[in-house]
Amino acid sequence: MPADRPKTTRVIRLEHVSFRYRAGREPALRDLTCHIRPGELVGLLGRSGAGRSTLAATLNGTIPHLVRGELSGTIRLAGEDIRAKRPRDLADRIGFVFQDFEAQLFSTNVPLEVAFGPENLGVERTEIARRVERCLEVVRLSRLVHKSPAALSGGQKQRLALASVLALEPKVLVLDEPTSDLDPAGRGELLAAIRALRAERDLTVLMIDPEIDELGWVDRLLVLDQGHLALEGTPAEVWDRSAALDSLGLKPFTLAKLATALDCPGHWPDADAAARAILAAGWCVAPGTVERLQAGDAARRPGEVLLEVEDLRHRYPDGTEALGGVSLTVRQGEFLAILGQNGSGKTTLVKHLNGILTPTGGDIRLRGRSLRGEPPAVLSRQVGLVFQNPDHQIFAERVWDEVAFGPRLQGLTEAEVGRCVDEALEAVGLAGMGDVDPFILTKGSRQRVAVASTLATKPGVIILDEPTTGLDHQELQGMMALIRRLNEAGHTIIIITHAMDIAAGHARRIILMEGGRIVRDGSTRAVFADEERIRSLGLMPPPIVQVGNRLGVPAVTLDELVASLCRSTTPPLPHSPGSLP
Amino acid sequence: MNLFLYLDRDSPVHRLDPRTKLFLMLGSFGIAVLFTAPGPLLGLLGVVLGYAALGRALGNLRRIWVLLLSIALVSVASWSLFVRGATPLFWRLTWEGLTFGVGSAIKIDSMIISGLVFLSTTKIEEIVLGLIRLRVPYQAAFAFSLGIRMVPTIIGTAVTVTEAQRSRGLDLERGGLLARARTYIPLLVPIFLHTLRNTDQLAKALESRGFGAQHERTSLLEIGLHARDAVALVAGGLVLALFVLWRFWL
Repeated sequence: MPADRPKTTRVIRLEHVSFRYRAGREPALRDLTCHIRPGELVGLLGRSGAGRSTLAATLNGTIPHLVRGELSGTIRLAGEDIRAKRPRDLADRIGFVFQDFEAQLFSTNVPLEVAFGPENLGVERTEIARRVERCLEVVRLSRLVHKSPAALSGGQKQRLALASVLALEPKVLVLDEPTSDLDPAGRGELLAAIRALRAERDLTVLMIDPEIDELGWVDRLLVLDQGHLALEGTPAEVWDRSAALDSLGLKPFTLAKLATALDCPGHWPDADAAARAILAAGWCVAPGTVERLQAGDAARRPGEVLLEVEDLRHRYPDGTEALGGVSLTVRQGEFLAILGQNGSGKTTLVKHLNGILTPTGGDIRLRGRSLRGEPPAVLSRQVGLVFQNPDHQIFAERVWDEVAFGPRLQGLTEAEVGRCVDEALEAVGLAGMGDVDPFILTKGSRQRVAVASTLATKPGVIILDEPTTGLDHQELQGMMALIRRLNEAGHTIIIITHAMDIAAGHARRIILMEGGRIVRDGSTRAVFADEERIRSLGLMPPPIVQVGNRLGVPAVTLDELVASLCRSTTPPLPHSPGSLP
Repeated sequence: MNLFLYLDRDSPVHRLDPRTKLFLMLGSFGIAVLFTAPGPLLGLLGVVLGYAALGRALGNLRRIWVLLLSIALVSVASWSLFVRGATPLFWRLTWEGLTFGVGSAIKIDSMIISGLVFLSTTKIEEIVLGLIRLRVPYQAAFAFSLGIRMVPTIIGTAVTVTEAQRSRGLDLERGGLLARARTYIPLLVPIFLHTLRNTDQLAKALESRGFGAQHERTSLLEIGLHARDAVALVAGGLVLALFVLWRFWL
């Protein structure tokens, strides 16, 4: 903790704050004391359930006024105790941007959305018009003034949400996982807007983000664990605390782990810096590495042809073309990831593979048989699709009944159903949880229930749409380990994901989609090595791959990269000089 | 997919004050309930379609034609069977039953199209402002607009939930009436819970944007009654008068 300063230099100050949700057994915040200085940009980290959103909700009175529970301690905003204030009374001082951008936009067009806040506060009409114009400029949406918010992309919606909060001219901005539902391009746009904003006005920002690699540019990081402050410091300070983050169940900076593995000192803000430092430390690419990695890939022999997609087209009733001729062959036992921006047709494509959508052109064959006319009720036994949000499908009061839903619909006997359910629960690590109410489980466990209920019908192909969204680091690791086990047990796996490190670390084949078409289909290694192409699609290779590309190693995981390097006795040779600035 | 009906265009109807459009819509409803015979109702349908064309809202008809057609078919089929008359055609059908069915079909479809023109040419915010000027309290007017806003969200949720359960093998077309009612439980529970959670989020987002703060509320949009509103109201009044004459004196 820094030495005490006058209280006025802290815009937010929490002292001994504890909170327990009315329905909660354990407190969500325990004797939490922390502060934020004016103009600071603070990143807030923690596992799910660590109290991040709870902390944020206390800052504008959502807790205790909209969400009930026992609150104690003092919360000060610019020196004033705000516990008696409702969110609407603080709206012009502290602004909130939420994860779910659908639920925070309620207007017919873009300017009216931005005007909504100032209108509520009775700001004069000409002043509202001025604020609308300025705020849309800051988030670079000025050219979309005639659009309906519903017609915007995810990134644009979230920037609109940001603009509509800025129009209230708050001094403090709280962003609760603002990028979780965004594709990499949308994420980049939002972060750029926040950076631009900080350059323009005196604004204090608190941002909750589950991805530490996205927070390397903040002023300070706060790490919560079980409702209290476990760690704090600048990104450079937290850089050296990988072990502490590990023990808290959080992901350390990826590049810091690389630095530790290579025994390189220093703090690397990006892949360029990392590559320079690694070469300067005397590491070079071991001879024969590229050949060795490629030989390893070639040794994996995929099985027989399973799914054949041929010139698949889909046009929605309103005339928009979602798929414009997609061709693809999937073999038994493959693990492939489909990447692309929101709206590139990924989800539409996979919904055809189990018959939920019917093609308007082209054909799909499963083991040589056309899927045309096959009802999803029958197909679900062969191709299982796990939707992105488990809450779109969980309805039963017991986990067991939820998982038994599919097998029962297949008309199996109760004894057979029981076997399927027990096996599925065992596979996802929920054995013995059959009697639990799924709604009291964490998001990660509910996601497991959804996977189990697909698994219970024993499909050969399992498709997962964004299986890791909203999961914390440990839940995510568990989910990916589960998917990997299923793949090793013979299931063919197709995942859709925005998480590039997951695609790189697990999938063997990558399909890049853009505008309803497949623009690249190849081995994970080959696709990620072409960094320019990936970036041109608004995607970004994970940090490890970026460093590898700069060193001339097509490595897709940290272990691969480390194993590809050796200490050179002679001064380092410049490997791919073109990619180093 | 955009589930909102509003079309951001410029047309004479768009430029009218929301109150004027509200009265025109209510007028068309009034005419619709005056008649049961297909003839005058067909006249009303013509007027309403002309109004839709003037408001450049005909494109939206394409989005709801399935609804319009199914209402028409159900109406013709059921009324033809249930309404008895003196002029038998064949089987149980009578001329009176058939014309009543056709009339009801046109009546309901005309009212829907009239409502569609109102929603296609009037922003929800304008409706709210119009209602406030008509002395409806702001909270009530906003609740109404939020209701309209929630419809597409709920439909979107329903579509996703249905797809998710069909992916698990749920067959909505299987079984008798009771079995079918039971197949809807796996749909209704997630839709209901998701909507509830969404509403909770919405409440937080609304408050954090100052909704309900103790201030006189201002508005970026401006509405006002102009000469064109007078023209539209007079024209609408004349049409109403003509139909009233048709009903009671012809």
